[in-house]
Amino acid sequence: MMGEMLTLALLAGLAPGSGDPSPGIPPGTCALPEAFGPGKAVHAPLPASAAPVEAPAYYAFPVVSTRRLPGTGLAAGLGEVTFADSPFGVTLAEDGSYLLDVWLSVERLMAPREGVYVGWLTTPDLDQVERIGPLADGGPLRGRARWNKFLLVVTLEPADDPEAAMWTGPVALRGMSRSGQMHTMAGHGAFEQENCAAYGYD
Amino acid sequence: MRQPTPVRPLHGLRILLVAALPGFGTALPGMIAALPGALAAQEHRMMGHGEHGEAGGWRMPPMSAAMPMVPGLENALPPVRPFLIGDGMDPAMFPAAEPGRRVVVADGDTLDMDVSVVRRTIGGRDYAMLGYDGQYPGPLIQADRGSRIMVRVTNRIQLPTTVHWHGIRLENRFDGVAGLTQDPIAEGETFTYEIDVPDAGMFWYHPHMREDVQQDLGLYGNLLVVPPNPDYYGPSHREELLLLDDILIDDQGLIPWGEEAPTHALMGRFGTVMLTNGVDDHRIEVRTGEVVRFYLTNVANTRTFNVRFGNARVKLIASDVGKFERETWVESVVIAPAERYVVDVRFPEAGEVGITNTIQAVNHFRGTFYPHEDTLAVVSVNGPEIDDEVAQAFDELRENRDVIEDIEPFRALLGKPVDLELVTTVRVRDLPVPIVASMEADTFYVPPVEWNDGMPMMNWLSTGTQVTWILREPASGRENGDIDWRFRVGDVVKIRVFNDPESFHPMNHPIHIHGQRFLVTERDGIPNTNLVWKDTTILPVGSTMDLLVEMSNPGSWMLHCHIAEHLHAGMMFVFEVTEE
Repeated sequence: MMGEMLTLALLAGLAPGSGDPSPGIPPGTCALPEAFGPGKAVHAPLPASAAPVEAPAYYAFPVVSTRRLPGTGLAAGLGEVTFADSPFGVTLAEDGSYLLDVWLSVERLMAPREGVYVGWLTTPDLDQVERIGPLADGGPLRGRARWNKFLLVVTLEPADDPEAAMWTGPVALRGMSRSGQMHTMAGHGAFEQENCAAYGYD
Repeated sequence: MRQPTPVRPLHGLRILLVAALPGFGTALPGMIAALPGALAAQEHRMMGHGEHGEAGGWRMPPMSAAMPMVPGLENALPPVRPFLIGDGMDPAMFPAAEPGRRVVVADGDTLDMDVSVVRRTIGGRDYAMLGYDGQYPGPLIQADRGSRIMVRVTNRIQLPTTVHWHGIRLENRFDGVAGLTQDPIAEGETFTYEIDVPDAGMFWYHPHMREDVQQDLGLYGNLLVVPPNPDYYGPSHREELLLLDDILIDDQGLIPWGEEAPTHALMGRFGTVMLTNGVDDHRIEVRTGEVVRFYLTNVANTRTFNVRFGNARVKLIASDVGKFERETWVESVVIAPAERYVVDVRFPEAGEVGITNTIQAVNHFRGTFYPHEDTLAVVSVNGPEIDDEVAQAFDELRENRDVIEDIEPFRALLGKPVDLELVTTVRVRDLPVPIVASMEADTFYVPPVEWNDGMPMMNWLSTGTQVTWILREPASGRENGDIDWRFRVGDVVKIRVFNDPESFHPMNHPIHIHGQRFLVTERDGIPNTNLVWKDTTILPVGSTMDLLVEMSNPGSWMLHCHIAEHLHAGMMFVFEVTEE
C-alpha cells in the first residue's frame, strides 16, 4: 500500500504543469521538436550535444522543464543514447532489452536555492529506477538504462544521497526515450497517461 | 543413388542490381494508430491465410491473431511467382539427408561435394530441401591453417549455383560470386575451388546466387581452419557447432519463395521455426563441469540472434577471423547473419540448460516491446562434476599476445581520418499504398535492431522488384554497383558507414566485405578497446561505425549487406584491389 501511495505521489510530480496541453493523444500530432525536424517547438531550445561520444541523433530526445520550480522555466536538456560497451556492437541486458548509456546535458538550469538536482532513469511504469547522479554544471551526466522504453527525470532533492533508491523531491525536468514515441492509444510517459507534448514532442 | 531434380527454373539471378528507382518522400506526420481504420478489429486467422487462402500458389505467412490486418491488403499478393523446390512432388522420392559430418582435408587434397535435393524432416513433417553432399548442415570441412584444399562441387539441381567461402582470404577467382569471379555452376556441371586458408578460425560456405532461396533451403556448412599452435585457444573439454537458422513454415508447409525476385525485401525473410544444425530439437549431452567450446555461426537470411546459455558463464574468445585481443565474460552472444563467434561455456550443475534466443520483440502496431524466447538447443548436463585443470582454467581470462602483436602494425592507424564513407538507405516503388502509409507513419520510432518480423504481411508483400536497398557514397553520390573503389595491396583504408534512420524503412545491416579482413575501430564515436579481425559486422539503425580494412588480397571483391533479401535488392558493390 505504501508503495502504491508513493508511486501515486511520484506520478503527481510527473504530471504536466498547468501550461501543458490537456492529457490525451490528439491523433497525428506527435512530432519531434524543431531541433530534431519539422514542427513548432513549444519548449526552450535544446542544447547542443555535450556527450563525449557521437551518439546517434535519431535516438536523442528532449529533456524539458516541468516549469514547476523557480529557475527552471528556461532550462532545457538533451538525452543522448549509445550502446553500453560490448564486443558485439549491440548491447543487451539479461532479458534482451537494450543496455544503453544515456548522456544528459542541461542548459539554463539555475542553481537551486537549496538542495541539489539529481538525474534518474525509470521505466514508464516507474517500477524500476536507476539513479544517475547529481547534475553539476549542466552535465554531461551518464546513466545506464536497461529498458527499451524509459523516462529520464531531474528532480530537486534535499541532498545528494548516492544510496537513494527513488527520488523524493519535485520533478524539474523530464524526457522520454524516442522509443516512447511508439504509440498506443493510452498515451505516453508514466503509466501512459500523458501526451507527447509533456515530453517535449510537439 | 542420384535422384531426379524436378524443380522449376528460378529466374531473376541478378548479380548486380543497380537500377535507380524513384524515391518516396520522408515520413509523414501521423501515427500508425491514427491511420483511418488501420487498427480496426480485422484480425485474421492465426497460422492461416486470412482472406487469402491459397491464391496462385501463395499462402500468407503466419501472423499472430493479435496483429490486425492492414485494410486494403486483404487480397494482396507478392507480384512475383511462388517457388517451391519439388513443388507438388512427394518428398519421399528424395533421399533422406543425413546430419553433417566432419571431413578433415589435408593440404593438397580434394573433397568432392555435390549439391542435390534432399528430404528433410522438420517438426515431424517431410520437406524437399537442398543439401551439400546430402547433409544438413553441409560437411564440416576441417583444414590446417596455411594449407590449400580443393573442393570439387558438382551441381545436381536445376538451379545454377556457386559456393562462396565466407571470410576466407582466398584467391579471387575462387570466391564464388556468380557473374563476378566465376560463371554459375549449371546443372550437371562441376567447379573446383582451390582454397587457401591463411587464417585460423571458424568460417562457412554458402551459395552466392539467390541465397534467400538456396541457403534458406539448407545450403550452408562450416569450414574450420585449425591453427598450428595447439594452445591457440585455451583448454576445453569438447567442441560443439551451433549453426543458427530459422525457416518460414506454416501448418501446410514451407511458405513459397519468390521466383523472379525475393519476397520479404523490406526486412528479410524471418522464419517461424528455429533450426540449430538443421533441426528444431537439437540436444547436447555434456558432463557436469565440462567446458564446452561452442562455434556459433548465424546462417539465417535476416534474423539476428541473442544467444543465452541459461545461467552458465560464457567466455567470449574469438569471432570471424580470429581471437579477440582479450577474452571477456559476456551475458549473451549477439550474432548477426553471417557472423561467427567462439565461446567457452562451463556447465557446473547437473540438469537441463536451454540455449535460447532471448529478445524483446517489437509489436509495431501496438507500440510495445514484449519478451520473447526461442529454444535453440537443450544441453543435458549429467554425471559427477569434472573439476580438472581444464575446468579450473576456465575461470581465467587470457590476453592473446599473438593477436595484439598481429594488430600492432595497425594500431597507429586506428585513429586515422576516414578515407571513404557509405550511407545505407532504401527506396521503394509500386508498393501497395496501405503499406507505404503504414510504414511511413511507423517511422517515428525504428528500433536499432529488428529482432523479429513485426509486420509479417507487409514484409512478405514487398519484393526485390519494388524495394532497392542502397549503399550510397556521399562523396560521389554513387550508389551500389556504380560505386567505384580501387585500392592497392597494402592499403589500409578507414571506411565509415552510417545507417541513415531517416529513410523509408531503416533497418540494421550486417555488412560483409569479401576477401579482406577488417577491424571495427569505433562505433558512434566510441573507440573499440578489444579488437578482433572481422569480415562481417552489424550496423544498427542510426549508428555509425568505422572499419579499418587491410587490403591484403588482390582481385574484384564484393561489399554487401548479408541479409539475403537486401543483397538481392541491390545492396552491394564491387571494389578492386590490385597488386602493388
